[in-house]
Amino acid sequence: MNILISGLITGSMLALLAIGFSLIFGVARIINIAHTAFYMLAAYSIYYLSVRSGVNPLLSMLVAVVAVTVLGLLVYLFLIDPIREHEGAVLIATIALAMVFQEVVLLTFTGDYRTVDFLITGFFTVGGVKVFYQQMLTFGVVLLTLVALWLLLMKTKLGLAIRSMAEDREVANLMGMNESRLAMITMGISVALAGFTGAVLAPLTVLNPYMWMEPLIIMMAVVVLGGMGSIKGSFVAAFILGFTEAAVVFLIPKGAFLRGSVALTIMILVLLIRPEGLFGVAFEEER
Amino acid sequence: MLLEIDHLVVRYEKAVLINDISLGVDKGELVSLVGPNGAGKSTTLRAITGLVAWEREIKRRSTQGDILLEGRVTFDGERIDDVPAHEIVKRGLVLCPERRRPFRELTVSENLWAGAYLEKDKRRSKERLEKVYDLFPVLKDRSRQISGTLSGGEQQMLAIGRALMSEPKLLCIDEPSTGLSPLLRQEVFDKIMQLKGMGITILLVEQEVSTVFKMTTRNYVLSSGKIIAQGSGEELMENEVIRKTYLGL
Repeated sequence: MNILISGLITGSMLALLAIGFSLIFGVARIINIAHTAFYMLAAYSIYYLSVRSGVNPLLSMLVAVVAVTVLGLLVYLFLIDPIREHEGAVLIATIALAMVFQEVVLLTFTGDYRTVDFLITGFFTVGGVKVFYQQMLTFGVVLLTLVALWLLLMKTKLGLAIRSMAEDREVANLMGMNESRLAMITMGISVALAGFTGAVLAPLTVLNPYMWMEPLIIMMAVVVLGGMGSIKGSFVAAFILGFTEAAVVFLIPKGAFLRGSVALTIMILVLLIRPEGLFGVAFEEER
Repeated sequence: MLLEIDHLVVRYEKAVLINDISLGVDKGELVSLVGPNGAGKSTTLRAITGLVAWEREIKRRSTQGDILLEGRVTFDGERIDDVPAHEIVKRGLVLCPERRRPFRELTVSENLWAGAYLEKDKRRSKERLEKVYDLFPVLKDRSRQISGTLSGGEQQMLAIGRALMSEPKLLCIDEPSTGLSPLLRQEVFDKIMQLKGMGITILLVEQEVSTVFKMTTRNYVLSSGKIIAQGSGEELMENEVIRKTYLGL
């Protein structure tokens, strides 16, 4: 039961992060290392607004997500877009960006651990396991978002363009899809998802300036397992890894510190055995 | 002339792919570009549809070398050589690319909808979809299938159908018969003739010269980036040098 709940929550979080990361990689071939740093910024914004300034928690979540999205778009315009076609440069720039965010948070909020209050308190017990209402709320909201995202991608014209662009930029261009505009919109969606994940996760986690690193690694493992650029793959792989981690922690309690290495092990195995991942497209050289 | 190419030059670094060619396509014509591998046929199509310029932009931005692109391309009375690729289709010029390249993870009908991306009126897109289904009934039967699982012949029909969804004035088709069985090749050529009968102007790149020459109004023979001959299929077949050296017949 514990594995189930924890696996579901971690899995759905990872799915949100990984899908956002996959989207912008798919559409514009941008590997955004700072993706989870945006997630951290959103969590800290909520802490600042709701705990320090006493703003209504729901309102602060909204403000945090919007602010992080705007910041993400500005970063895209001024930092990423000019070097978009240079993969190495994008990697370095986004790593640097994540570090900058980390240091800014460290300077502003110090390295102390911070927490954000639950939106709703209380819990119920299922099979002897305590389940907090907050956990259920977070899970529900994340699930709803995943469904909305799925609808956006599968049922709208924008979604069709995003998926076409992710598969074959050149042909998408021929169909009249504007690459830079789509990349910009996708970056907005991607960062908004990262910010949103940070916002809903904030009450369930401990905030510190290094909190972006662990999810980054796990998210990369998710993307590798699911297949680079495949949205369906990210979704499935996120739950696989979410459950695996929960199972490891539960089955070998003393081995809880092994959590992080599970993701890395899976990532290495996938790269060795099936580099294109579960649903990956084995990338064809253009032309 | 619907399409006019005037002194087109394309160079990738030091490799000259297109060396000063000029050609034209009139309304209602079916014109072919033939010639040996590496003659610059596909590059010509990529240049007029803006893909060479797009590639140049990427190369420049990633600092991986440069492409030189010179010359004038006029389509329907307007210059299009400085128009970005994604806006060229708006003007009615579309390319059905080499190796078909359907969006493999999308279903057949999603591929076709993608082809009508610029059409804002959903009803009109729907009408076009029905037209394409009439032309290629197999696509209708497989409309919900993931297009990566289609056979080569079906993928070619899909690629042509997708290009038709933009309701082009000029349809460029790059090597539609490659990799297909003789039977399917004939089917593809029959469909192309059917399109011509519907009044669609077509610029066709093909290796299957003997069949193509029977279909076309005019032909251009390319070799090493230059046009070395042009004329009707009969005229070109009479010229022994061209026939043996460049067409391998």
